[in-house]
Amino acid sequence: MTTETQKQLKYIDTNGFGAAQGGRGYHFPVDIAVRKDGLIYVLSRSGQGSLNGTGISVTDIDHHWHGEFSGYGTADGQMQWGTAIAIDSSDRLFLADEKMQRITIFDLDNNYVSHWGTAGSGPGEFDGPSGLSIDADGNLLVVDHKNHRVQRYTADGEYIDSFGSEGSASGQFNYPWGITTAPDGTIYVADWRNDRIQRFTSDGVFIDAHGDSGEGDGQFSRPSSVAVDHDGFIYVADWQNQRVQVFDKEWNFQTIVRGEAGLSPWAAEYIDANKDEKIAREVFNPYPKLDVDELYEVSARTEPYFWVPVSVTTYGDDRLLVLETARHRFQIFETV
Amino acid sequence: MTTAARSGTDTELIAHLLRRAGFGATWEELQAAGDLGYQGTLDLLFNPGDPESMPQDIIRRYHPDQSITQIAPSSGSVWMYRMSTTKTPFEEKIALFWHRIFATGQTKLIQGKVMLTQIEMFRQFGLGSFRDLLVQLSQNPAMILWLDNQDNHKGNINENYGREILELFAMGVGNYSEEDIKECSRAFTGWTIANMPYMSIKMRNNTLRPYGYVAWQYQFDADDHDDGEKTFLGETGNFNGDDIIDIICKNPATPRFIARHLYHHFIADELPVPQWPFEGPKDPEAIELMVDAYFANDYSIGAMLRAVFESDMFKSEATQYARIKSPVELVVGTLRLAGGFDWPTADIFKATAACGFMGQALLAPVSVEGWMGGDDWISTGSMVQRINFASATVGDPTKKGIKSIIDQISDRHPRGLVTPKALVDECLELAGSLRVEDETKEGIVTYAREQGDIDPRTDDGVDKIVSVLQLIVSTREYQLV
Repeated sequence: MTTETQKQLKYIDTNGFGAAQGGRGYHFPVDIAVRKDGLIYVLSRSGQGSLNGTGISVTDIDHHWHGEFSGYGTADGQMQWGTAIAIDSSDRLFLADEKMQRITIFDLDNNYVSHWGTAGSGPGEFDGPSGLSIDADGNLLVVDHKNHRVQRYTADGEYIDSFGSEGSASGQFNYPWGITTAPDGTIYVADWRNDRIQRFTSDGVFIDAHGDSGEGDGQFSRPSSVAVDHDGFIYVADWQNQRVQVFDKEWNFQTIVRGEAGLSPWAAEYIDANKDEKIAREVFNPYPKLDVDELYEVSARTEPYFWVPVSVTTYGDDRLLVLETARHRFQIFETV
Repeated sequence: MTTAARSGTDTELIAHLLRRAGFGATWEELQAAGDLGYQGTLDLLFNPGDPESMPQDIIRRYHPDQSITQIAPSSGSVWMYRMSTTKTPFEEKIALFWHRIFATGQTKLIQGKVMLTQIEMFRQFGLGSFRDLLVQLSQNPAMILWLDNQDNHKGNINENYGREILELFAMGVGNYSEEDIKECSRAFTGWTIANMPYMSIKMRNNTLRPYGYVAWQYQFDADDHDDGEKTFLGETGNFNGDDIIDIICKNPATPRFIARHLYHHFIADELPVPQWPFEGPKDPEAIELMVDAYFANDYSIGAMLRAVFESDMFKSEATQYARIKSPVELVVGTLRLAGGFDWPTADIFKATAACGFMGQALLAPVSVEGWMGGDDWISTGSMVQRINFASATVGDPTKKGIKSIIDQISDRHPRGLVTPKALVDECLELAGSLRVEDETKEGIVTYAREQGDIDPRTDDGVDKIVSVLQLIVSTREYQLV
C-alpha cells in the first residue's frame, strides 16, 4: 500500500563557516537551539588540538553574527565536552557537559548564572548528560545517556524524577542522545544505539517506539536528534545514515533529505577574498563520481551533503534547521 | 639463514609470535592460544575474525573531530583506539608496516580523513598480492597528493611518485635507471583526484574553510594520460601505470627489497635503508625464503610472512628479542597489557602523543623515507619517555589488565604470602611470558625482597605487585620484542 505523503521539504539556505579558532562560524558543532525572539544558538564542541573553537555562537536566520560565549575549560561558564543546549521560556540557556557531568545556566544576556551536577548513577547524578529539552511545565529534561535514562529537574536544578533504564524493551534505552518536547507536551527521545525513536507522555510513561536498524525508509542508524513541528510532523537526524527523515504523527514516512548546501554568505565572502580558491572553485564539481557507497564516505567526499547531521530543530512554523558536525554549518529547509 | 634450532617452550614461542605479529599477548590470550598450539595460532592470524575493536560510531560520538581534522594526534587517536582494542592485531601490525614503508604524512595533506582511508586500505590489501597493493597505493588520493602526482601531466611530468615507487616503495636504489623513472612517471600521468585544482589549493592553503575538509576521490583523467610508447626496465609498450606495476612486481629486485623490509619489521633490526645498496642483508637465506614464497604465491605478502613464521629461523633464540620496539609497539603493547580502553576517554590523546614524544607520531612520519627504526628509536630523551609511559600505564591497579594480574597472583597464593622470586616469576609470566636476563631478574628480585612480605590480598601487597610490574616495563628487555 502506498501512503500519500503530506510533508515535503525544500532546501533554501545554509548558515555556517568553519571557525577552528572561534569567531564567526562554528567548529564541530553538536547542538542548535532557537530562542523565541528568533536568535539561533549553536554549540561548538571543537576538537583536540584546536580547542579555541569551543563555545556557543549566536546568529539569526539572516546570517547576522551576534557573537559567542563560554569556551573550553573547567571554570564557571566553561565546558570540556559540551553536548547539548536548551532555552527555556525565560530565555535562560542550559548547557550540558558530558565530561564534567554538569549542567550550566546562562541568563538571557549569555552571562553565567550557575551550574550543578555530580558524577554517579543515583538520583540527581550524571553519567554523560547528552540531550536537553524544556518540558511542558518548564522543567529541564536531561538525557543521562550512560545511565540510560532521562532525568527531570526544575529550572534551578532541583531533581524531580527520572524514567528509563538500560535495555531494548519498551521504555528502555541504549545510550540515548537527543530529546525534544513536542508542542503537545509529548517527549521524544533519540534512542541512539537501539536505532529508534521513543515517545513518552509528559509524565514519562512510554507511548510507542518507531524504527529499527537499517538504511531503508523508516529505518535508522544511530539517530541523534528529533524535532516535532506544530502539525505533529516528526524530523529525525539519522546520524549515521547521513540524512534527515520526516514522519507524520502516526509514523507514516514522509520524505528524506540528505542536504544540498550552497555557499553561505560567510563562506561566499571568504571565497571572494581568496582569489586562488575562487578561481579553483569555479571548476569545482560538488558531486564528483565516487567509487564508494558507504554513507559516511559518500558524505565526506560530497560537500553539499549532510556530513554527520547531529541536531534538528524547527524554526517558526515551516522551517527546519539541520546542524552538521563535520561541515561546521546548518542547512535550512522549508515546507513545500 | 641463521641455523639455530627453535628455542623456548610452546608458550614462549607463541608469545614471541604474538609480539611480532601483534603487540604482545596477555596471559589470558596466551592461555587461549596455547590451546590452539603454535600452528593453530598462526592459522588464526591469517584467518582473522571480527576485530571487535571500539566501534566507529562510539568513537565519532565522543571525538567528533577524530576522523576528520588535520590534527595528527586527533586522527592518530582513531588508529590508537583500533590498535589497543582490536582482537585482530596482526591487521594493525601489517598496516603499521606499510605506513612505515609507504610513509605518507598529514603534515602536508592537512586532513586526517584521507590518511585513515589509506590505513584502512593497508588493512585490506596489506597481506595480499603486492601487485594489488601497489595499484591501490598508486590510486590512493593521500599518496597522490603526498607525492604530487596531481602535478604529473602528459607532456610535463612530475617525477616524484615515479621515482619513489621505484626507490622507496618497491625496488630500492640500483635496480633502475634515471630513464626508467621518467618512463614510469609518464605511465602514471592522469592518475589524479576529482576536483584537483580546488583540493590542491585547499591543501596548500592549509584551510578547513569554508566547510571543513572534503575527502578526496581518485580519478583517472584520460585526456591528461600519456598513452605513448615507453621503455621501462627493458620492456617497451604503451604502458599505463598498471603495466608498470606488473613489470615492477615480476622483477626479482622487488621481492628482495620488500623481504628486507619485512625482515626489519618482523624478524630483526636491519641496517638503515640508505645503506642497503652498499651492504647485503643480515640474513640472505631468510630473504631468499621470502622471495621464493613471493613468486610461488602470486606475489603474496602474506605467504612471505607465513614462510617466516613457520621457519626455525624465526623460532630461534637469536631471533627472539632481536628488535627494538618501535614507539607504537611499546605504547600499544603496554596499553593492551593494561587492558586497553573500554570507552572513549581523553587519555587516548596522551597515548597518541606519547608515540610522538618517543619519535613515531602516527600519520606523521618524519619524511617520505619513513622511520629508520632500530637504534634510531633510542635516545636519552626517548628512553625517559618510554619508561615513564610504560611505568605510569601499568602503575594503575584499577586498569582491568593490571587488576587481572593481581587477581591471578592472589588466586595462586590463597594463604597470602608470596616470596620475592615467585612474585617476579609470576609477574613476568602474567605480563605475557616475558623473559629477562638473569642479572636483570636478580635486580628485580632484590628489589622485591626489600619490600618485605607481600600479601596480594592487601592494598600494600597490591602496591608492591604494581611496583614490580613497573620495574619490569622499565627494563632493557622490555624495550625489545
